[in-house]
Amino acid sequence: METKKPNRKIIIGAAALVIAIAAFLVIFNVFREKPVAGSKAITLEVFNQENQTSEYQVQTDAEFLRQAMEEAKGFTFDGEEGDYGFTLYTINGETHNWNVDGSYWSIYVNGEYGQYGIDSQPVKDGDVYRFEYTPPYTGE
Amino acid sequence: MEKKSKNCKITVRDIALIGVMTAVIVVCKEILSFLPNIELVSFWIIMFTLFFRWRILFVVPVFVLIEGCLYGMGPWWIMYLYAWPLLALLAFLNRRQESVWFWSILSAFFGLFFGLLCALPYAIVGTIDNGIRGGLYAGFTWWVAGIRFDVVHCIGNFVVMLVLYRPVRDAMRRISQK
Repeated sequence: METKKPNRKIIIGAAALVIAIAAFLVIFNVFREKPVAGSKAITLEVFNQENQTSEYQVQTDAEFLRQAMEEAKGFTFDGEEGDYGFTLYTINGETHNWNVDGSYWSIYVNGEYGQYGIDSQPVKDGDVYRFEYTPPYTGE
Repeated sequence: MEKKSKNCKITVRDIALIGVMTAVIVVCKEILSFLPNIELVSFWIIMFTLFFRWRILFVVPVFVLIEGCLYGMGPWWIMYLYAWPLLALLAFLNRRQESVWFWSILSAFFGLFFGLLCALPYAIVGTIDNGIRGGLYAGFTWWVAGIRFDVVHCIGNFVVMLVLYRPVRDAMRRISQK
């Protein structure tokens, strides 16, 4: 049987939950990476399975990386739309699909491991985006 | 919810139960994997802790090991080593609670803080590479990037527990009485 005391605790718990959700959303809106409007000069780097690096200079008004990638001359990519956003599988004809063999394309932003997919990664002037072939995990 | 056993030996029935519980968790996780952060793992770990008590000590490690074998033991996997045992511990500490609202709120909190728990390995790796400030930045940015998914996780866990707690609890009681 539930008494009045636990009910009060549950109301307090529910209120704390709502406050926590609100606080998290405020933190998200304040600290998330925000897109920058206007012209930006960025660099796309591709480090493929053969350890070859290719570089693309892009002048773009794109707010997010995906659009800037679409504008890059000589740079092609493909992937799949999903619930978490666009998943990148192919760059310049080279496919790495984690679901098939465990390999994938890592995205580094100015040398740091990227926290966003290409359609939510904000573009800033001077940024360097590196797409690096990452081999399947073997435990070594 | 279960009578104390007279000795500490693991019986064949216990081993079978542990296997079935692990299978239920893994299958439910795979079936719902197409939905972002909507999962039944939290629900089952809570329910199994409440009804099968110490057996969860075997279920969670086996589940974590299977996930590591299925998806590779990357940084995300390290988080599995402490997040799921933490949920089982929370469920065990509150095992006398009967309120569906209590369990829904607890499960929702776990979903909401899941991303924060996940950020710890990234903060530690960042600290090793770039010092404490770099580590805190790495963990914080990783957590912030996923907050929307944590809120979905929170709401999903709340609804799942609210809908399933009573029917599953009653079914488990009937089974354990046989």
